[in-house]
Amino acid sequence: MKVLGIYSIKGGVGKTAAAVNLAYLAAVGGNRTLLWDLDPQAAATYCLRVKPKVKGGGKSLARGRGDLDDLVKATDFQRLDLLPGALSLRNLDVLLDDAKRPTKQLLRLLRPLSEAYDIVFLDCPPSLSLLSENVFRAVDLLLVPTVPTALSARALDQLAGFLDRHQMASDLRVLPFFSMVNPALPTQAGAMERVRASHPHTLSTAIPLAAEVEYMGIHRLPLPAYAPACPAAAAYRALWAEVQGDLMRGPRAG
Amino acid sequence: MHDQLQEYRLPLGGEARLVAALGQVGWRLAAEAPRAARVRLLDSFDWGAYLAGAVIEEREQGNERWLSWHDLRGVEPPLAQPIAQPPGFPRDLPPGPLKERVLAAVGVRRLLVAVELEVESRTIRLLDDEEKTRARLVIETYRPAGGCGAGSRPEPDQGSSQGPAQGRGEGQETAGLACLFLEPLKGYQADAREVAAWLSDDLALAPAARPLWLDVLGFGPRPAGGYSSKLSYRLDPKQRADSAARQILLGLLDTIEVNIEGARANVDSEFLHDLRVATRRTRAALTQIPGVLPPQVEADFKARFAWLQQVTGPVRDLDVYLLDFDIYQASLPAAMGPDLEPLRAYILAHYGEEQGRLSEALGSASMTELVRDWRQVLEAPTPAESAPANAARPIKGLADERLWRLVRRVRREGQAITRTSAPEELHELRKSCKKLRYLMEFFQSLYPDAAIASAIRLLKTLLDNLGSFQDLAVQAHHLREMAVRMHAQGGADTQTLLAIGALVADLLRRREAARSAFSATFAGFVADDGKALFRELFHGGAPTGLSAALPTEPQVSPGALVDLD
Repeated sequence: MKVLGIYSIKGGVGKTAAAVNLAYLAAVGGNRTLLWDLDPQAAATYCLRVKPKVKGGGKSLARGRGDLDDLVKATDFQRLDLLPGALSLRNLDVLLDDAKRPTKQLLRLLRPLSEAYDIVFLDCPPSLSLLSENVFRAVDLLLVPTVPTALSARALDQLAGFLDRHQMASDLRVLPFFSMVNPALPTQAGAMERVRASHPHTLSTAIPLAAEVEYMGIHRLPLPAYAPACPAAAAYRALWAEVQGDLMRGPRAG
Repeated sequence: MHDQLQEYRLPLGGEARLVAALGQVGWRLAAEAPRAARVRLLDSFDWGAYLAGAVIEEREQGNERWLSWHDLRGVEPPLAQPIAQPPGFPRDLPPGPLKERVLAAVGVRRLLVAVELEVESRTIRLLDDEEKTRARLVIETYRPAGGCGAGSRPEPDQGSSQGPAQGRGEGQETAGLACLFLEPLKGYQADAREVAAWLSDDLALAPAARPLWLDVLGFGPRPAGGYSSKLSYRLDPKQRADSAARQILLGLLDTIEVNIEGARANVDSEFLHDLRVATRRTRAALTQIPGVLPPQVEADFKARFAWLQQVTGPVRDLDVYLLDFDIYQASLPAAMGPDLEPLRAYILAHYGEEQGRLSEALGSASMTELVRDWRQVLEAPTPAESAPANAARPIKGLADERLWRLVRRVRREGQAITRTSAPEELHELRKSCKKLRYLMEFFQSLYPDAAIASAIRLLKTLLDNLGSFQDLAVQAHHLREMAVRMHAQGGADTQTLLAIGALVADLLRRREAARSAFSATFAGFVADDGKALFRELFHGGAPTGLSAALPTEPQVSPGALVDLD
């Protein structure tokens, strides 16, 4: 089982769209896939038409009561399951802090699922918190959607600095990719160049800013399911192919 | 974790009625348009997946092609994966859990089409107020492709004589099977239960008693699980020796015959392998169950089967190198592995030529006549007063006698081997051991199951040791010869020669290890309890308390024993 986190310190950068679309494409490709919506806004959950309810809420999760598997809901798509997000998860950070080994709780919760799924996606809330640290410890790969602006580049640097300070930089593979790219904006090309220079592992696929992506919240479907031919859907497919290639290659040296 | 799929069998043509009835219930439904698909159930010639309790499905729908693994015991959820082309060998499948599962069941064999079907499939989803799917119903109709039989061999009678025939409604002319799959969704099991209750209460539909894939398999021309190269003869201790021998030899002839085409066409390496094993067993039976056929017949077929063994040898040798090639490469330091590639190319280059000779031999008049004449001999009625010496004896007595004789030969030959013995002596011992093993397997049903199984296990340990010694020596020798020829033909650079050298050294080291392990392995074979076991089995007496320790069957008197001591 491979665990992929979709993460950014910043909000509104296309995390949920990426998480839902990549998880959908993974399932379509034959992988038994789980998408865990860790965001209390539960946008991914909404997009897949599942009710935003978690039995027992964050408390039972953090205290290790009950089985994660009992909370899983099948989506409308074969091989794609969802662990719904819910408002009741909003205090997960505080609850995790009470647990023993608070940074490894997510890893512990995921372990029993390793036989049932090939790939788990974690749709993470925007922050740099104890929950984020749990995510960093649990994932094989951290995908960071990055809008090509000065502020996003700064957020990437902040993440790199944090990982460095907490001795996680060498174990964790961080792959930024450009999101909501708008060629009409003159500032973006320069920002992309700067990000690529300071983060050489940045993926080559860029997701365009497109109305079709915004419609996910209206159709309540993954983008490739309702507009498979649009350029943004093609971009997500290319992104997934790139990520898969990276997963197959295994840990990067150095 | 796996929510079991519920399967229902529908009367053929009853799909439309089911869809109409569903519409009356008042559930919120989304019905997708019916889609046509072509489904092939795949398996190896020896039914590896079926025997592992599964079917492998290849489904072409639109421009998509999927491969799935369905566990018929309902323990594991299905595994599925898109594939780019029709699957051949499991090793060539895209990496993933499906490939692992197929490889474990099918191994080196090629996936063949067991049955091909035209399928009409429609999915109906049960929705909630947010239009979220709560349960999925899939209605499918399977019809053998081409109207009858399946695969490449149309055999309409077989297709309809099995399971699926029961699925025909009255007046239905075409063979086919209609089914409904109710797929419970994780987290929404209650909805599926509600549908199941409706199917049972309102439509009087009960889940199918056995997996419907088995019925679909029944459309194929070959009975599922109908081939095995393993021996399992049921003999009667009082049966005349000539009749028992014919029974054994006919079984082996069936195996030879059924593998000829696959070996000629090189469908996969195991056709030839099974054919060769059955040939070797036939030859062992001819020498080790003597005096049951007229002497001139015995001599004639010994010679003809020796020919068959000989003409099938070269391709098998090359098969072994190719099958082991990855292991060869892995045995070298990682940097040297790729240097062996020219050797693989060299083997492959010669393969076509040898395979051509093999195909010619297997298609020759000599081969056709061998099979035809041998069957004629074996199927001729057993004469009541048969001339050959052992023909009319009860088989049990003859089996005891021959087995005991071989046990003592193996002991004698083994005990004569010292540290300085020539490799040929170990080779002779191996041949005796193989004869003993084949004979024990032929006659297995005449002896108590547990005891004969332990005896075979004991012998197998010794055979494995002797086999590694001999095979490693032969391989090292051949590889050296190949290196010389490759070098002479300019087909190997220094890197390749060095890599072959390292490989030969490794094989020889392993051969030495097998040689040093021989005396301890043989000591295990002739240790007291083993000795007692063989005596108890084949020589009637048990000087130790073995009889009490092993499950026994009523023993038949060993008959007239010729004491060769």
